[in-house]
This record gives sequence, structure tokens and C-alpha cells, in this order.
Amino acid sequence: MIVVLAIDALEYTMVEEFNCKNLMQKYYGKTNISEFSEPRTMVLWSSFMNGKNLEKEVTALGDEGMWNTKFDMKNTFFDQFEKPKIIDLPGFSYTKEQHDKERMLLKQFFDAKSDKEKTDIRAMYNNHAFEHHRKIKQEFSDALNGDYDFLLGYFSVADVVGHLNFGNRIMMKMIYKDMNEVAETIKSDYIVLSDHGMEKIGIFGDHSSYGFWSSSVKNLGNPKITDFAKIIKNEQ
Amino acid sequence: MSIKYGEIKIPTDLIKKIEERVKETEFESVAEYVTFVLEEVVKDAEEDLEEVFSEEDEEKVKERLRALGYLD
Repeated sequence: MIVVLAIDALEYTMVEEFNCKNLMQKYYGKTNISEFSEPRTMVLWSSFMNGKNLEKEVTALGDEGMWNTKFDMKNTFFDQFEKPKIIDLPGFSYTKEQHDKERMLLKQFFDAKSDKEKTDIRAMYNNHAFEHHRKIKQEFSDALNGDYDFLLGYFSVADVVGHLNFGNRIMMKMIYKDMNEVAETIKSDYIVLSDHGMEKIGIFGDHSSYGFWSSSVKNLGNPKITDFAKIIKNEQ
Repeated sequence: MSIKYGEIKIPTDLIKKIEERVKETEFESVAEYVTFVLEEVVKDAEEDLEEVFSEEDEEKVKERLRALGYLD
């Protein structure tokens, strides 16, 4: 089974700072996303699974259309596998209701007039994200014991929680350590990949201009996110 | 008012490290040391929650979230 741990917004500097050995593995580094005008989650994961830059096509759909993008298996590199399992990946198997509610709560947070209201909404937002994270962890754990030849588990918690809490070091450390423990449960070779990292704006988090990768098998250098379709194909 | 106590589990490797550390402090036990550390962590976390949101930071991040497609 080839396994990809796709962790949205996993930040290279934090993986090092929190010494997440299972996320670092033997080889790790930054991905090159400089060809994209903005590090948009949907654009980056769409480009990843199609093996080519789809920024123009995806952004042409507008924001609403972009978040509703759904590619057919046959357009992605997953099609080369006999029994692939892809959990919650943006542009493919994204849990629409969950992620629509995240954006709704995000909007409510910024529309709120008082700090008390913002604090309350942020608590709801965080709880919503963590509840989903627990479900995804369980689904991923079950899938590791399944009869698949390719498994991709997409984890959104670092990105979603990070947007409103990246300046909260304790919370972010807890998330990174949790993802490190998830990686520890994978018994085969695996790749860790993020679409972009995160950088602080006060207590908040913005997308950074590089992603993270790691592998136990090969030093990939400074790969583009669109290179992974070929990299993973070569691992078959 | 008497304090009520509960029980938690900590890895034994960590307990050994704390036992060594406690010898060099005024704490009389691992439990006392761990209680102190946890009180500080909880206090820090509560202070984070009480923070005032910076308007300037909010405006910057809103602009970024619009550019990334999260906000209208």
C-alpha cells in the first residue's frame, strides 16, 4: 500500500520546531509552489492530483465554484491504482457540508462586533474542526487495515484551526504532535505532503509560499506539487 | 476548603525525568511539580483566550483570506 499523509498547511518550520520525527522521516524539505499566483488550497490540491498547474481553470470558476470543484478519478493519477482510497481531499472527496460550515463560521467571526462574540464563535469554529479531525483520524486508521493499494488521508485541522489560532503555540503544538502520532501508526512507506505552510499575522494564520514534503525512501529536493503524480507513480 | 484530587496517567520515562528535576527544586514531589506546570499552562491558555483582537491584524488577515477564496 502506498500511503500519502496530506496535511493542509503543515508548516516546515513548525515540524522542525516541535521535532515531529514521524512527519520529518529520513528526508524532508519544502515544496516549490512559486508557479502559483496565490497558495489557494483548492488550486494546489487540484494541481497535485492532476499532475499539472490548474490555477487558471479552477480560479475561473469563482470562489463558490472553486470550493465545489470535483474531479473525476480518470483525470487524476489515482486512476493508475486498482483500489485507491482518498479521504476528504479538496477537489475530489471533500466533505462539502463540513467545509462550507467552516467558511460560514469564519465569516461570522470577522463579522462579529465584540471580542466576546468573536471568542465564542472561535470556540465553535475550533470545536467543529476538531470534531471533524477525530472522524478523519478514525477513517484513516480503518483504511490502513483495508485492502487498498493506494491510500491518501487529507487532514485539514492545521489549516482550519491555524487561520484563527496560529499564534496560539500550545494549540498548534498539540495539533502537530497529534499528526506526528497519526504518522507513527503507518507501517508502510509513506509520503507526507502539504499544499502550503502557514505564517503568523498576530494570533491569525496566513498561507505561506511553500509546502512541506517528507519521505523515508528518497530525497526529493525541492519538488513542485505537480511533480508528485510522477513521484508516486514511480513508487508503484 | 479541602481540595479534591483526581488521577491521571503519565509515561514512566517522563516521571523519571521529572523525579531528577524535582531534586534540584523546592518541589517536594512529582505531583506538586506537575500540578504547578499544568496550572501555568492553563493560565497561559486562559490569557490567550482573553486577548484583545488586533484590528490591524484582523484587517490584514481578512484581506489575505479574501485573496485565498475563504471570504467574499
